[in-house]
Amino acid sequence: MSGGATRARLPASGRGFAWLLLSPTLLFLIAFLVVPGILLAGLSLRNVDSMLNLQPGYGLSQYILVFGSTTYANALFTTLWVSLGTALLCVLLAYPAAWLLVNAPTRTVRTVLYVLLVSPLLTSVVIRTFAWIVLLAQNGLINDALRNLGLIDAPLRMLWNMNAVIIAYVQVMLPFAVLPLATSLGEIPESLSRASMSLGAGRVHTFFHVTLPLTLPGMLTGAIIVFALAAGSYITPLLIGGRLQPLLPITIYQQAVQIANLPLAAALSFSLLLITGIVVFLLGTVLKRWEKRTYG
Amino acid sequence: MADVSKQEATPALAGGPAAPARRRKRPDGLKWLSWITGGLVYAFLTLPVLVIVLSAFSPESYPQFPPRGFSLRWFDALLANPAWLAALKNSVLLLVIVTPLTVILGTTAAYALARLDFRGREALLAFVLSPLMIPQVVLGIALLYVMAAMGMAGSLLGLAAGHIVVALPYTVRTASVSLAAVNRQLESASMNLGAGPWYTFRHVTLPLIKPGIVAGAVFAAVTSFGEVSVSLFMSAPSTITMPVRIFSYVDQTFDPAVNAVSVVFIAIAVVALVVIEKTIGLTKVM
Repeated sequence: MSGGATRARLPASGRGFAWLLLSPTLLFLIAFLVVPGILLAGLSLRNVDSMLNLQPGYGLSQYILVFGSTTYANALFTTLWVSLGTALLCVLLAYPAAWLLVNAPTRTVRTVLYVLLVSPLLTSVVIRTFAWIVLLAQNGLINDALRNLGLIDAPLRMLWNMNAVIIAYVQVMLPFAVLPLATSLGEIPESLSRASMSLGAGRVHTFFHVTLPLTLPGMLTGAIIVFALAAGSYITPLLIGGRLQPLLPITIYQQAVQIANLPLAAALSFSLLLITGIVVFLLGTVLKRWEKRTYG
Repeated sequence: MADVSKQEATPALAGGPAAPARRRKRPDGLKWLSWITGGLVYAFLTLPVLVIVLSAFSPESYPQFPPRGFSLRWFDALLANPAWLAALKNSVLLLVIVTPLTVILGTTAAYALARLDFRGREALLAFVLSPLMIPQVVLGIALLYVMAAMGMAGSLLGLAAGHIVVALPYTVRTASVSLAAVNRQLESASMNLGAGPWYTFRHVTLPLIKPGIVAGAVFAAVTSFGEVSVSLFMSAPSTITMPVRIFSYVDQTFDPAVNAVSVVFIAIAVVALVVIEKTIGLTKVM
């Protein structure tokens, strides 16, 4: 990025060639991302009769149903809060993990930590969710261990509630929060905190006034990714929380696949897209402002 | 706080040679607290994988801790079940279709976006990377609707298209990482010597960014092989993939054979990690 002088404009033939290379990807994404999106938007404006047959004409009735009914509005809010909570927990837990990664004493330790971080990303989400069922089930490992230790008589009911969903979410998405934070932490020159401490600030003061502000971009980047992932995932809550959890992705899945009310599922999808879009935009704005303030 | 004495024994852990015994007089409790919390977080992250491996080799239907023996019966059960093998066949077939296509689309796009210089470049890059941020349930339902309209619902090709959309951002990113390190003067030299843009791309740029391409291929393959959110919407009984079958097994029954399947997935992840580390380096990818 720094090679401003060498970044001469490509000759015309090179530019044409670059566009030629780009076109297949653009065409593919238009066909399988943009067009589906537009068609889904159109579908969300359709109406259905009681037999779920599409009616002629367009209107906002599906959206009125989504935002007017307590069930869907409740699901929308729960999704928002659970995703924000997951993002917050992930950032909190990511901090010590990222710190350890950056301050690893040897290269080997650092590589091992990286492997621990990246390997979950390469394992299917069903596998990681399934592991939590094995752990949290009534006859699962945690209940088994607690009973063997004589701490409990009857097995605890840990599955099928929102806490279990959040625990699994945090574990599944934590690496996405750690990696950008570690990048942020690694970019802070050590001389900064040394300067702060030589000027008399303690470790805690230095952390809150030097390190934390400089790593805020990394924290926000991680939070945005985790939030977007949590707000859109339905596999984990379906398997761990059960079908009755008031989460929008579960509702969308059920409306689309089980009830086959596609217009309602489409309207719910765009409501979810809108809400996550707003939150991501807000967090992104904070991120940009902060970077501008810090680096000018 | 029994750890305080241990900590005194290794004072130079993070100090480095440039910090001779700086602030070492009082026990550095804060640093130890950071180490312990960090370690706990990594333990939390690793716990599920350990559980899976433990359960897969356990002789009992429900895993116990500590394990009571070692057995391969769940792997036998896996191999004896034609439904799992059919799902595996679909998954491998998809991976073989999806990986090269995603790598080609991702690499060419990354190259073009790195070399072009126009107003909407950033926006276009964000667009190409956007499948990462779009709620997967929305992606799934949108693709389901279009595929159904095109009569491709449940077909392997429809699934492949969905997988490519999901995996594309990874190949774009790994190729971009490699491209950022390419010395542009090598490309200029090639052009000055009379080579055309295609020849230069093929014989100068591509060999230079090979690590990024390989890492991208690994990401694409692993993503396709483990994809479930979009596949669940789009697969028919004849095109069920491994993760989708795992989903329905876990959803409806408790089958310990799933543990054995999971170990296969984890083993693949480990191989993928090694390849990424050897090519582009783990630290650079994310």
